[in-house]
Amino acid sequence: MTTPPFSLLQRLLFGLIILLALPSCKRESKADAAFYYWKQKLNLNKAQHQLLDEVAHGKLYLRFFDIKWDSFAGKAHPEAIISFKEAVKTEKIIPVIFITNQTFEKLSPAGIDSLAMQSNQLLQRLAAAQKINYQRVQFDCDWTLGTKEKYFQFLKSFKAISNKQLEATIRLHQVKYQLRTGVPPVDKGVLMFYNMGKLSPNPQDPNSIYNPKDAATYISYLPKYTLPLNIALPLFSWSIHIRDGQIIQVYGKIGKKELHNPENFQPTAHKNVYRALKSFFTEGIYVKTDDLFKLEETDKALLEQATIQLAEHLNKEEQKTIIYYEIGNLDLSTFKTADFEEISAHF
Amino acid sequence: MVWACADYGYSDDYSSFSPEAFVAKEYTPFFYSDFSTYYTKDYTYRDDNTNTRYNDQIVKEWYDYFGQQLSKTDLQYLLLKASAKGIDSVYQNFKGKINVLPDSMPQLKKQKLDKKLVNSFFEYLSLAKSAEEFSANYQEYYGWDEKPNYTAPKSMEVSLLTAFQKTKDTFIKQRLWFQLVRYYYFLERSTGVKPIKDSQLMKAFDTYKDTFPKNMIYYRTLGYVAGRHYLAKDYATSNYLFSLCYDYAAEMKIPAKWAFHPNEETDWKQTLAMAKTKEEKITLWHLLGVYFDTERAIPEIVALDPKSEKLDLLLSRVVNITESSRSGYWGGKEDSTKTLRKNTALISGIALKNNTSKPYFWNLAAGYLNFMSKNYTQAAKFYQAAKTQLPKDNQLIMAQYKILDWGLYIRQLKKIDAKAEAKMVEPLNWFARLKEGKDTIPDLRFYQSLNQSLEVISDLYKKQGDPLKANIFRNYHEFYSNNQQIESLKALMQKSNQTAFEKAMLQYYPYKLEDLYFFQATTLVYQEKLDEAIALLAKTKEQNDVMLGNPFNMRLNDCHDCDHQMAQSKKFTSMSMLRMMKNLKEEIAAGKNVYNNAYLLANAYYNITHYGNARTFYESELTESYSSYGLGIPVPFRQMFLSSKIAEKYYLIAREATKSKEQKARCTFMASKCERNESYNRSYESPENKKANYWNVNTDAVYFGRYFAVLRQQYADTRFYQEALSECGYFKKYVSKVR
Repeated sequence: MTTPPFSLLQRLLFGLIILLALPSCKRESKADAAFYYWKQKLNLNKAQHQLLDEVAHGKLYLRFFDIKWDSFAGKAHPEAIISFKEAVKTEKIIPVIFITNQTFEKLSPAGIDSLAMQSNQLLQRLAAAQKINYQRVQFDCDWTLGTKEKYFQFLKSFKAISNKQLEATIRLHQVKYQLRTGVPPVDKGVLMFYNMGKLSPNPQDPNSIYNPKDAATYISYLPKYTLPLNIALPLFSWSIHIRDGQIIQVYGKIGKKELHNPENFQPTAHKNVYRALKSFFTEGIYVKTDDLFKLEETDKALLEQATIQLAEHLNKEEQKTIIYYEIGNLDLSTFKTADFEEISAHF
Repeated sequence: MVWACADYGYSDDYSSFSPEAFVAKEYTPFFYSDFSTYYTKDYTYRDDNTNTRYNDQIVKEWYDYFGQQLSKTDLQYLLLKASAKGIDSVYQNFKGKINVLPDSMPQLKKQKLDKKLVNSFFEYLSLAKSAEEFSANYQEYYGWDEKPNYTAPKSMEVSLLTAFQKTKDTFIKQRLWFQLVRYYYFLERSTGVKPIKDSQLMKAFDTYKDTFPKNMIYYRTLGYVAGRHYLAKDYATSNYLFSLCYDYAAEMKIPAKWAFHPNEETDWKQTLAMAKTKEEKITLWHLLGVYFDTERAIPEIVALDPKSEKLDLLLSRVVNITESSRSGYWGGKEDSTKTLRKNTALISGIALKNNTSKPYFWNLAAGYLNFMSKNYTQAAKFYQAAKTQLPKDNQLIMAQYKILDWGLYIRQLKKIDAKAEAKMVEPLNWFARLKEGKDTIPDLRFYQSLNQSLEVISDLYKKQGDPLKANIFRNYHEFYSNNQQIESLKALMQKSNQTAFEKAMLQYYPYKLEDLYFFQATTLVYQEKLDEAIALLAKTKEQNDVMLGNPFNMRLNDCHDCDHQMAQSKKFTSMSMLRMMKNLKEEIAAGKNVYNNAYLLANAYYNITHYGNARTFYESELTESYSSYGLGIPVPFRQMFLSSKIAEKYYLIAREATKSKEQKARCTFMASKCERNESYNRSYESPENKKANYWNVNTDAVYFGRYFAVLRQQYADTRFYQEALSECGYFKKYVSKVR
């Protein structure tokens, strides 16, 4: 069968469609940007400050402390409390509190309100000392079926006590299984679009930070998620330390530079996997002969790929913040201001 | 079968090698543990902390200072317990300014003490107490509150310096020197860390370090110097100095090891270069071995001095780490063979050279590693070599040898004959006494070895076609499917002239004669041999078990809790229930009141299945049948405890015997319950559920069966039919579906 040539009318219509489509290509993104800061000491260098100002106008999601379970004392307690080594731009800070799921596994229902109270008091005290006047608080907890009720009750209680806007991080599996895992009672969710694969000691397994195959199994559920979402994107890289087929640790501080030192490591048949040639100390870590290091990196290309895959499933008309994780350990040679603008524009 | 035993700790789960047998006690915290930082029975180590670690030492030093004239109790009070005010009161009393002191306080006036010594002591003590505010006042702190402040006050420097310059007493002077260095440590830590060359701490230490003896207080002072280098990130020096502290005293080992921290390989090389003697180098390699890498450390130390006692801890760790990598608290590691292979080669090589200080330790370790590698011939050679070297008077070591030797013997057995049995008598008795706590050998890890060997023995007997002995060594359910086997077990247990081996063996059989009677009695009930069952049940204590609900009642929907809570005018015991069942059966046979009697008997037979309100009737440890899920009942007993076939039979007899349509309808419905239970039972046996557990078992969709059809077709006009419709959702669903 032959196709007839386009009629004039058809050609005109086609042109019109292109013309109509153009404005949406040039549409201003409704997303603004922010950074996470996750280290214990707040201490940004000049270049980090510059990036924070240029990309995010100073908007910073600052981790204030973690809440963990102390099994000896049988109670929850804060750890890694932030210490401020510099003055901060106080109006742009959103405090973040990380809570281990184990805390809610162990915490008795009777202890929820007092944990909320204690958390709020500690947060207030730390913020007041820096004259930080915050309006929102973000909670990060990888809750499960067993802890859902206690965690959600905690959020309600915290809201009632603090009277602040609340955000909660949402993992991909919690989007996919929202009926089972529930939707936290907060004002906004933050979709963590990373750590989607399992950390694996297997050299051929894909990047666990982001890989399109794992992502694909979750993202089609996004439009049905009932909570408005901000988006958290990864900027980090790490290497997985593997000994005798087992993961020993994951380090942000061992990167390409260390693994490309031919005195200590040699590449293996697997891309991004390196073998230790001897036993030695580096960066406070002890490496043994034949240990493997699996480097999982995020670079601009990977981030862009993730962004394009994700943006397709999001409502572009919805105001959202793209939060980059994270600025404290960011390799400034990998990402420039313009890169972030390009990425944010996809949303 | 596993015997849990709290006294022996978790190590017993995977280990048959006690470090206590070979390694000096002071290294105990660093024995390998796969779940806590330090090896101990009190694994919190709450009693060992910075505030209290040196208490005993301090008291002893001052006790000697006073020529043992001032009691340790008084010293403990003054040094460790009293407040500044309390100390002042005691001193004022001594000087005669306060006449009476409470009895709880030391009365120094009455004792003949050297005045000069007492005066120096109290002057020092008041300074030391105020220094404790920031240096030895560590409190457990949960971050919700303000962080406690441990800052050294500026003003203290002058008081310490003045006192230090003034005193002529060397003992006191060295302690003031310690105080000064410690004071600077806290001061410099909190006011920003300056380079070492500008450190007052270093100045204070270096100026006087050669004027004092190298005693405990010297090394405690050195610990702060090491800490100061750590603060300045000079890890090379810090590690070297900490290693000296580690080597000096048991009290310093935990903090020194904790602080040992090479950051880069260059730090480590520099540290090694600082070592002045062979012994110092050995300590450094020893620390690297404990903390990071035994395989790297051991050859280095052997090269320096194969007789070094610092090898002992490392060797024990190699063995325990290898054991744990195969099946530790966290489960076996994926690639444990590599660790095993490497360690076996390394330790065997050293053991063969035979030039260590405890050759039996190396031979036993090498033998055991070879045993784990399944090189049994090699293992035997090492054990043989060890045997001649063992210290015969050391109970723990001899027991350790025995365990390893036994494990190897059992593994190598191909067949158990009379000769082998005779040989096993003594060790079996020995293990049994330990297991039952009739003997104790502290720190011996024997459970794993014993459990494994019982398994091996049981398997061998099974292979040899001797199920009786196989079952005695390791109880297995299939054994009880054969009554002949139970009878032979009973006979053996009751035999008056048991052989030594039979006696030894029977110590491992976990059940009593009575348990066998009970099992046989229940089996007979389900075979409908009630007379025989009653006779056997009479020999057990279970005959008096009280049934939770009335076993002769039945409802449309099973509800055990409802049955158990219902008021019962008469509580049935197992025995009274069986007697009643027997009567019912006899009446049925005689044709008396058949409908009622058969209906009641059917109810009882239903209720003593897994689905009924009296399932406690059959439950026992021997059958491990306490499960509230059908699948949890061991396969050999499932048919017996799960089947409702007998109940169904009597419901049908009852139906046959009545003319009343209402009663017929009821019997039909009850038979349908039996029929449905059978459908569950069938699904438990289906191939796809072979490996299933109660949370993932696939049961068929609700099975309606033939009795629902009968009920609908023949009894739709009864009142009972309406009752069944309103009570039973399944039936309602069935009826609406068929319509």
